[in-house]
Amino acid sequence: MSRKLSAVVFLAMLVLVAAMSLKTVVTAHGKNAVMVAEGSAAMPTRPSMPGSSSR
Amino acid sequence: MPGPVDSIIWFLGIALSLVVVVCSLWRKTFRRYFFLNLYMLLSVLVSLVRLRIFAHYGQSSTQYWYFYFYSDALMTIAQYFALISLYIHVFQEMRVEKYLRLGAVLLLGGTALFSYAVVSQSANRMLTDVVFELSQNLYFVGLVLTYVLWGAIFKMRETRALLVQLVLSLGVYFGANAASYAISNLRPDMFSHLRYLIPLIGCFLPFAWAYAFWRVPEEARLEPARLAVIPPAVQR
Repeated sequence: MSRKLSAVVFLAMLVLVAAMSLKTVVTAHGKNAVMVAEGSAAMPTRPSMPGSSSR
Repeated sequence: MPGPVDSIIWFLGIALSLVVVVCSLWRKTFRRYFFLNLYMLLSVLVSLVRLRIFAHYGQSSTQYWYFYFYSDALMTIAQYFALISLYIHVFQEMRVEKYLRLGAVLLLGGTALFSYAVVSQSANRMLTDVVFELSQNLYFVGLVLTYVLWGAIFKMRETRALLVQLVLSLGVYFGANAASYAISNLRPDMFSHLRYLIPLIGCFLPFAWAYAFWRVPEEARLEPARLAVIPPAVQR
């Protein structure tokens, strides 16, 4: 693998690690019950679903 | 149907996204910023379908819940490609497009694998949870990538005003979203107060991009941040 290719793989993984670390820091004090969402639409309220997980 | 405030914010978002595309067409930059426009068009389409499902099934229906988060994942991926296209514009002169595309695909694949690995530990509804996790993780990847691009723009003293404005708007949008996310997690009791804030933040990006395409011509350049100081002795 060329040096440039190795650098690309390394940088991509570095960004991934940084992003996941940031997410961990931001959600550290919560129960992950709230989420980021796109667009201007009204956020849905949780429907009651049988066998739903904790999220 | 959604309440009056929800409706106003909802239609404002749709209208602003359409304005971005119209202004881009008017400025003849549609093809140049194709992925940004594609993201805005997708945003309009998703908003309209969400509205239809909301009106038909209601806010607390399973249909709206699933469509909202599946479409959110789709829009996050579109936004990711829009961001990568901005990277390609910024690093155009360095001729590293091939590496940027490769890096983008690797990063997307890595994020998808990571999301799957996290969810596979404990999920009942596998696909739904993977989609949700991917959307959230890709959002944070986009956040980091945007601030890296901010840094690159300042370091390289980028002067293309439109490009700078597009990237800066994206940075503010990601920052505001991350702040609301952090507040919601720190104080879950405040989530009800943030009910209108999150859709309003969703309106900010199309507003800023519409303004950029409308007011800033493609050929506009920023003035150099630093001018050379010539000592008086040399001036004489």
